[in-house]
Amino acid sequence: MVAGPLALIVEITYRCPLHCVYCSNPLQMASVSSELKTEEWIDVFQQAAGLGALHLHLTGGEPLAREDLTEMVKSAHLAGLYTNLITSGLGLTQTRLRALVDAGLDHVQLSFQDSREPTANWIAGTRAHALKVELAPIIRRAGVAFTVNLVVHRQNLDHIEEMIAFAESLQPERLEIAHAQYYGWALKNRDALLPTRAQLENSVQVVAAAQKRLAGRIRIDAVVPDYYARFPKACMGGWGQRLMLINPSGKVLPCHAAEVIPALQFENVRERPLKWIWQESESFQKFRGEDWMPEPCRSCDRRSQDFGGCRCQALLLTGDAAATDPVCSLAPQHSLIERELARVNATPGSDAQEVSTETEVLWDYRPQPK
Amino acid sequence: MPQPEESSLPRLATGCRWTGEGEERTLLFPEGALRLQSTGRAILEHCDGQHTLLQIVQELQTTFSESDPGKIRSDVFIFIERLQQKGVVTF
Repeated sequence: MVAGPLALIVEITYRCPLHCVYCSNPLQMASVSSELKTEEWIDVFQQAAGLGALHLHLTGGEPLAREDLTEMVKSAHLAGLYTNLITSGLGLTQTRLRALVDAGLDHVQLSFQDSREPTANWIAGTRAHALKVELAPIIRRAGVAFTVNLVVHRQNLDHIEEMIAFAESLQPERLEIAHAQYYGWALKNRDALLPTRAQLENSVQVVAAAQKRLAGRIRIDAVVPDYYARFPKACMGGWGQRLMLINPSGKVLPCHAAEVIPALQFENVRERPLKWIWQESESFQKFRGEDWMPEPCRSCDRRSQDFGGCRCQALLLTGDAAATDPVCSLAPQHSLIERELARVNATPGSDAQEVSTETEVLWDYRPQPK
Repeated sequence: MPQPEESSLPRLATGCRWTGEGEERTLLFPEGALRLQSTGRAILEHCDGQHTLLQIVQELQTTFSESDPGKIRSDVFIFIERLQQKGVVTF
């Protein structure tokens, strides 16, 4: 029998005041009217804790858009889960934060789009940066773990040192530096976001130096872009191995992007118990383990480390969810990535301020759900 | 980063807390969890801001009186430093 999930990620709403051009939400978002009700979410949290999950990541959209968030946090805490609020900060006040902490909130992860206000607002498609900066010291004093999250890409990597210094000034326990991952809106806007090799190599050095300098003070976790890696990432720690994600309307997925795989039917918590979905549903079994693997994965020494890479990326780039992840240098269709990288590296990386007047043609902003 | 010293008062960092009982007792923190064996757990359970590092060492030296006390001391210091790097313990 498969072990239970370690963590549950819940996208409690797709509503969001930001329109980030690399949002991980799907291009087709479920409607606001289909969102799970408070008691339905609470039931899900209790089921997840019963399955052995330790962490609950509350995300969206913007989870603060749900007025019942405090009630949800309280129930999750009582069920024994470690609760993490992944937020843009918009909608958070000192009073609301105090209520959330009193309800048992353990950790707040606040995202920043840049260290420079004009660029940050440009990437988010709204004037959010100044509010976030004001919020940081309030979170810092609230008695919860505080993570600052920076998403990095072609438009801001040239001043990554400045971004790290900015994050440091906010005094978090933890700093997450995540390269945009090319699904959802980031894939749609990939040409504007994918860094050059020179940008990437510089950023790796800068991050490593910062990790050394800040050791014991701020823990830096860095997510590298897999397009430049020799081997694929161990996506989600393996399909249906560690994590499960529930979207606003209750659909249960092995990851943020899995809905793009057209051949899979995903179950809904309104119709099935979470335990059955995790252990027995076809969608969670489909790519669990190694039986589904094609060559060269099937006989590869790394198959138990990276699990053949990401199924969604395989589908999005090759049209076949069961193909070897094309970012792997051993993948039969790796030329798809090489071609993309050659194109991206033909022009130098641009720092955002130089191109900020080209907003209209550069990318599509994520809209609001209907 | 402050180096651990005998007079340090290690405590769990903000956002780190215990859950569960007995064998299942687990330390939870942002993006991670630790389920520790007897010694590691004993050390971490004393990281409450009330015990100095020296007291923690002495207590373990008493509990594990057959082991080399010098090795216990260095093991505790190394362990605490590792947890400090992970952001779990602070002082």
